Amino acid sequence: MAHIGPSGFSPYPVAVYEGVLTPPPGKALMFNEIVDEEIAMREAAKAMLTRQNPTIFPGPQVLYAWNEEAKEKAKLVRKMAEVLGAKIIPMYDYRPKYPKINPAIEINPNHPNLTIWHNKIKACIFVGVHCHYANVALKIIRAETDCFTIAMCSMAGHEDAMITLRDQHVEEMEKFIKIAEEVKKELGK
Amino acid sequence: MSYKIYKINEELKDFMPKEIIDLEEKATWGNPKRGVMDLPYTKELIEEHSLCAGCPESMALRYIIASLPNPEDTIIVNSTGCTSLVFPHIALHTVHSLFGNQNAVASGIKRVLEWRFPDKVKDVVVLAGDGATVDIGLDCTLQSFFRQEKITTICFDNEVYANTGGQESGLTVKGHVFKMAPKGKQWDKVPMWQLAIDSGCHYVARLTVSSPKRVEQVIKKAIYVAREVGPTYVHLYTPCILEIGLNSDDGLDEMRARDKERFAFFEYMTPQAEEVINRIKEEGLL
Amino acid sequence: MQATETILYNRAGQRVVSPDYLLFEAPRTKHFMTGSEAVKEAVKRASVDASVSYPITPQSEAAHLIGELWVEGYVGVYFRGESEFGVMSEIAGCAMAGARCITTTSGPGTLRAMENFPMWAGTRIPVQLVLMARGINSPLSIQPDNLEVSFLLDTGCMIWYAETAQDLFDMILAGFVVAEQPDVHVPLITVVDGFFVSHTREAVMLPPDDIALPPYNPYRAPMPVIDAEVPPGRFLRDPFVMKSNYISYATHASWQWEVRAAIERSRPYAKHYLRGLVEHFGDPEADLVFVACGTASAQAKEAVRLLEDEGIPARVVKLKTIRPFPIEELREAVKGAKYIFVPEFNVVGWLEREVRRYLYGHSNAEIIGAPRVAGGMTMPAEVIVKEVLKLTGKEVKHVI
Repeated sequence: MAHIGPSGFSPYPVAVYEGVLTPPPGKALMFNEIVDEEIAMREAAKAMLTRQNPTIFPGPQVLYAWNEEAKEKAKLVRKMAEVLGAKIIPMYDYRPKYPKINPAIEINPNHPNLTIWHNKIKACIFVGVHCHYANVALKIIRAETDCFTIAMCSMAGHEDAMITLRDQHVEEMEKFIKIAEEVKKELGK
Repeated sequence: MSYKIYKINEELKDFMPKEIIDLEEKATWGNPKRGVMDLPYTKELIEEHSLCAGCPESMALRYIIASLPNPEDTIIVNSTGCTSLVFPHIALHTVHSLFGNQNAVASGIKRVLEWRFPDKVKDVVVLAGDGATVDIGLDCTLQSFFRQEKITTICFDNEVYANTGGQESGLTVKGHVFKMAPKGKQWDKVPMWQLAIDSGCHYVARLTVSSPKRVEQVIKKAIYVAREVGPTYVHLYTPCILEIGLNSDDGLDEMRARDKERFAFFEYMTPQAEEVINRIKEEGLL
Repeated sequence: MQATETILYNRAGQRVVSPDYLLFEAPRTKHFMTGSEAVKEAVKRASVDASVSYPITPQSEAAHLIGELWVEGYVGVYFRGESEFGVMSEIAGCAMAGARCITTTSGPGTLRAMENFPMWAGTRIPVQLVLMARGINSPLSIQPDNLEVSFLLDTGCMIWYAETAQDLFDMILAGFVVAEQPDVHVPLITVVDGFFVSHTREAVMLPPDDIALPPYNPYRAPMPVIDAEVPPGRFLRDPFVMKSNYISYATHASWQWEVRAAIERSRPYAKHYLRGLVEHFGDPEADLVFVACGTASAQAKEAVRLLEDEGIPARVVKLKTIRPFPIEELREAVKGAKYIFVPEFNVVGWLEREVRRYLYGHSNAEIIGAPRVAGGMTMPAEVIVKEVLKLTGKEVKHVI
């Protein structure tokens, strides 16, 4: 993404209109820069370890045991939260919930800002959220909050996140956890 | 069966709200004998929704969802109207596309699921109001019957466009005054159940939702016949108590009154459908 | 050490090859065929799961031929729908259930189906619609005219425009690959001018028909596929989000942006698989430029040849994509241009509007929305030349 804040007359900014696209395979996106995955992972870990109330938002693709990869990833999400000292707040489905969500324990793509406001979250990781809903939510979060957003995507990534990691599967998540452990040590935490 | 999509990974279970854990543990999955009698004891597949207090349509939805013989592999296609306010809260894969195209969308889904999963049973059910089924969507509804699509179509007939504020529909009775019919409706209620028979449906039923058990029987028959033979149609009276000036607790009495006249229970089946129904009965599934 | 190679086959028994191999590397042989037949040849190599058809001239033949492929086992699901509204809804159902889908329509059919196109885009299905443009009512005309495209510009669908049967063949194959990228995943409307391309025979270079694109993987889609095999189990595609108690004006606005962003994300993929979003023809130094798409660009190329004979250097910038619009490519291409002609097969000049919009403040050239023909008229190269001569004042003998 390029800037925090609205884009034109729309309340929701769109990075592609500022010329920022998803990163090419093998690379990552940090703000509007295409960088090596390792650099982005390091910065992502740093953001989570230094900002207030870091939170991981796992989506349906890792919450439910629908395939072997999901089962593995769930373990890694838990481990990642431990290493980063992060909370876990699930985005367990995408429905507009009636009558309202409980922002202390859940996040909804239709108004993700409520959960971020309520818990004063300053850094977050999206993982296992279907790309469309991640993109809808990330645009809203970017304009409505000062939360540092990190997308850990198993597909092509999300240019509206501040850091986007693409093609993230079990191996890459393990790599991220290793890097996070290193960064944590460096920070003396 | 696709129960796996409701199964929460152990490592993340601590963070899930109770309603989602209950869905995995206390809903009835993999049991074709499930039915309305489970309602008080099991987790329902519908969460809180925004229909009016006492709305008979909300009762109908609960009975129908509780009666699906194969919920973990059932797709429901919906249309615009009051029902579409409930659909986000139904714990199944459902579709809202356009106003009136529900039977067309359902046809595409059913055919592709048969092609993609030749060894699995995937039931496709259409659930829409009278405006969607009989007015704006009549072409798509009847054409799916003509084409013998293996889907179940359920019409919630409240005899009015309720969600848009009470306008006359094709299923309004003659003479009734609604918006857009300020002099009273000039023509007769469309006998949709008869059109369904003439258009090739193999099982057709007309009833109110005053008796949960009867709704369950009809829904199960309609789904089993659609699975094996061809299109089926269920016409349910779910009065809009708001638009006909009744109180929240009047819905049941209104339906019981209509049970004796224009919504007297009516059932039709072709010989092929009867064969399926008899077999299912023998298997103890009805 | 010798590497072991796994050979994959699709359900029709064709060997699965990479899109790059199929499009750029596989040996090709020359065939003589209509645009409709080129559609069949493309679909045959595209591992297509489903197609729904409806008769309307001039696209009917292409739809019949896809039916033949279904009989031969190359297409999984095929049937005739009740109207274009029904067809586009049926194909939407097919796509939501996880199928690679193609359908075709023309003119009044496009308008009959109209409500579906923004729905397709909003629900993120990569359906491919081959549009064989024809006039729209009233009065009725079955003749070529691409006015209908102007109605489609802001539906949230990608729009590509093929000039020839060869273009159409290659675009259909490239189209599935680009539209199905997980970060794109919006519908694609592949346009050709009816009759001029659909019914005209020309040489088309085809790769062998025992190879095909990799099958579609619906589990890479940005939205859960409707098959009860992917979480969340509670999923409505697509919910009402405007109720104030859901506080979600936000969702609708963000969702609309997301669909447009998805089109933008298609640029690098389209550049690769179409070998650029524009094509250049003629004298690269010429300050007289035709910007056109489809048959109008074919005729503009002929006009460039005629003008060359008369000593007037000219060139053509052919736009292969309309959505996304090749903004940078066009601005770059018209640097140094003095006159930009936009020849079109419709009365409103939708392409001229687009060209003006994107060149505003970026070019000092005079933009002339001419010539314009419609209602089935042809656009002889001489007519184009005549428009140019009106401007330059030069007398040329062979022009009528």
